Amino acid sequence: METIRMIFKRIVLLSTVVVIATFLLSLLMRLLPGDPAAVLVPNAPEELRALIREETGLSKGIFGYYWQWLSGMLQGDFGKYYLNGGYRPVSEVLKKCLPPSLFLILYAQIVALALSIPLGLISAYKENSRFDRITSSVLFTAVSIPAFASGIILSLIFAVQLGWVDPIGYESPFGNPVEHFKLMILPVTSLAIGLTSSYTRLLRTDVIATLKEDYVTMAASKGISNKRVLWKHVFRPSSTTLLTSAALNMGGLIGGTIIVEIIFVIPGIGYEIAYSIGARQIVAMQTLIALVSFAYVFFNSTVDLITNITDPRTRERRV
Amino acid sequence: MSSTEQIATTDIAPVQKARKKRPFGFYLAGFWVALILFLAVFGDFLPGPQWDESFYDSLGVAPFHQSHILGTTLDGYDMYSGLVHGARLSVFVALVAVIVGGAIGTVIGVASAYFRGKIDVVITMAFNIMLSIPNLVLSLALISVLAYSDENNPASTTRRVGVLMLSLTIVIIPILGRIARGATLQWSSREFVLASKSMGTTNFTIIRKHILPNVAPAILAIGFLAIGSVIIVEGSLAVLGIGVPGGGSWGSMLANGRGNIAFSPWEVYLPAGAIALTVISCNWFGDYVRKALDQRESKI
Amino acid sequence: MSSLLKIDGMSVTFATPRGNLRAVNDVTIELLQGESLGVVGESGSGKTVLSRATMGLLPGTATRTGTITYNGKVISELPKDEVRELWGTGMAMIFQDPMTALNPVRRIGSQLTESLTVRLGMDKKAAKLKAIELLKRVRIPDPESMLRKFPYQLSGGMRQRIMIAIAVSCEPELLFADEPTTALDVTVQAQVLDLITELRKESNMAMILVTHDLGVVAGHTDKIAVMYAGDVVEYAPTRQLFSNMKMPYTEALLKSIPRLETPTGSRLPVIEGRLPDPTKNEPGCPFANRCPYVQDKCRAEKPPLKDAGNNHFYRCWFPIGGEK
Repeated sequence: METIRMIFKRIVLLSTVVVIATFLLSLLMRLLPGDPAAVLVPNAPEELRALIREETGLSKGIFGYYWQWLSGMLQGDFGKYYLNGGYRPVSEVLKKCLPPSLFLILYAQIVALALSIPLGLISAYKENSRFDRITSSVLFTAVSIPAFASGIILSLIFAVQLGWVDPIGYESPFGNPVEHFKLMILPVTSLAIGLTSSYTRLLRTDVIATLKEDYVTMAASKGISNKRVLWKHVFRPSSTTLLTSAALNMGGLIGGTIIVEIIFVIPGIGYEIAYSIGARQIVAMQTLIALVSFAYVFFNSTVDLITNITDPRTRERRV
Repeated sequence: MSSTEQIATTDIAPVQKARKKRPFGFYLAGFWVALILFLAVFGDFLPGPQWDESFYDSLGVAPFHQSHILGTTLDGYDMYSGLVHGARLSVFVALVAVIVGGAIGTVIGVASAYFRGKIDVVITMAFNIMLSIPNLVLSLALISVLAYSDENNPASTTRRVGVLMLSLTIVIIPILGRIARGATLQWSSREFVLASKSMGTTNFTIIRKHILPNVAPAILAIGFLAIGSVIIVEGSLAVLGIGVPGGGSWGSMLANGRGNIAFSPWEVYLPAGAIALTVISCNWFGDYVRKALDQRESKI
Repeated sequence: MSSLLKIDGMSVTFATPRGNLRAVNDVTIELLQGESLGVVGESGSGKTVLSRATMGLLPGTATRTGTITYNGKVISELPKDEVRELWGTGMAMIFQDPMTALNPVRRIGSQLTESLTVRLGMDKKAAKLKAIELLKRVRIPDPESMLRKFPYQLSGGMRQRIMIAIAVSCEPELLFADEPTTALDVTVQAQVLDLITELRKESNMAMILVTHDLGVVAGHTDKIAVMYAGDVVEYAPTRQLFSNMKMPYTEALLKSIPRLETPTGSRLPVIEGRLPDPTKNEPGCPFANRCPYVQDKCRAEKPPLKDAGNNHFYRCWFPIGGEK
């Protein structure tokens, strides 16, 4: 019962945040100087502009426009790109640009977790050892290198100079899996560098705290191996923050891949956002940004909810 | 004394040596930040080639050239003076955004947590809304709308720099605001605040004398990290082609150099290195302040 | 009965930012099979460190010297891996706070069967049956459903029983009980102690019971070591200690135990003053500043451990009741 009430409260909060955020986005679009229709279709005749104003709701004032956009979104009408006298529905673009972004994020997360879990555990276990200090400083440096710099430099070294992989492009994993993975190596690496650093540091901090717990001494006093103590008794209770932040990143990364997608020319959602901004397609841009922030808020609350329900310690606090 | 009694660690956590001396990185980061600040302020008075002059006789020369110490771009611009000039813009933009955004965020966050009630609910909601849009996307959207003077003509460079700073400031407000709010919540329930209240001290005095001094270190720590992220966002915007136009900042130098990467890679390496070193130094200071803070906390 | 554990001249120091901290000073203790020893002292006296150091459960900042002989074998110089072989099956420990010593995210069943499957090599089914039997032995009602619970669902007394069940699961010969009842309600304390004593008697288990409460050790130990500032200051069979107390410190400890018959509102005698700074090495008896019988000699010179006969040792220049 309490759980249901909690879920309900979250849903109300989430919808409020999304509605206000998207409304502010609409408002922002209306701040554009001049006629928004002229921005959308710069060289079109006045009749077409009027048509577009009507179609998008731009003629109806800010609330009318927002309402039309929102009800369209809820019915699956995501708006249009207006290009060269024609148009493309955003939903169609979305269908094409979501998979590349999701693959990119998924791979980056897998790589980052696969690296950071052992690194975090070992460097916490050997706190202040040489291994810990070297890992810490390397990761500290790595997290400070912006994704655009690491992306450009990676592509310069491995694609341009060594020629191991193509510097840009994307292939579907279903059509050409080998090429898909080859093209993904560099973008995934440049995304995973920062993630690995922050995950390792999070896990290390938590593991150091957990190692001081009585139940770890207790487990050790059973005479089981250090490895077993670390994996079975230390990792689980230390992993909450790590997993939470990994899950939260899923939402944030959808927007955060923009740079990597631009540098490696991957037709993902970040690429489309940048494109819609460059082409000043404000309706499409509003839709895409709204979806990204919805994804972010959605992941945020879902993760929060799940940890609340599943972690016995938070349950204990509630009781 | 009781520390010996409550030993709860085991051989599971071996070798802990207390490190006392101030680490080497402190001086390294300090030197770099000082150098960048110096160049940002006095760079234009230093001898050297003009940053916006193209040297047609030496296009794309490699670093350590006799008259161009860090080389030139393929278009003949001097890398050294470009970097020095870029320092001014990158550092200026980042500092303004973080100081202004941090100040606004701190005021809002502290007030929100101190007075609680409905204001707090509204402000927390506002922060959540702003944080729900990834910061790069938010500044992209703001700039793309605000940086045009009419329907299809970009505004002047000065205005675009202003818009850039404004949008980065807006991005910073909720980040530091939330930190300020959290820290204030933690401190405003301490006994000395209650004691001060019971003596009839005004809220303003309590905030000034008791809350702010305790909240400030946390803001400072995150503020350093924020300077790093603002520099990164500025660079990202430049790479996306909507930052400061005309190669005036590190980010736009790098963006311009991307196309020439196969011929003159230093056009990318040098600004990327400058950005990375500055971000590392800022992060380092942030980390240092945070660690010092943690140690102080644990002693209280 | 033969000797089970012999600690000979053991000292423990911790490296701290303020310098080396001496937690245990040249302690010599012997324990026979099935025997139980109480280690008593205030917090900070080094008693917990003594028990953890004996077992080998010290953090990396600690240095231990002296020899420890277990079942005729010197274990103090053995590598970690070989000492670990003894943990659980030879020596086991019950921790002070059952609230923190059970892993919050793992079920009782998995924590209880871990030693059985990993250390004794039982299969899952056998381990589960054994776990149920163990829970019955520590008087836990409905043991089968208990296996599926998380620690937060249980009371402190229940958790302490679980911990005892875990400690005795591999039938160790020596049980360390570190303040096993301090975190519990007064009514539960006696039950838990009686349970431990009963389990010990059933399988002839030796025990080192660490506590700050002389009243607790009285009924549950064969002999007592009183510790002060890292030193063993009095060491005697339990009866002998209570009938012929030599140390002023032991007397002070005894007086500080609250009694049911004490009229409410009357002041509980506490030991005035504080422990000396363990990072400094000052001359004289460490208790001198707090001792009601202090004389000039006490401040000048540290007393050696003296033999009062009947296996009774003490560390005082002017013992209660005189020498012998």
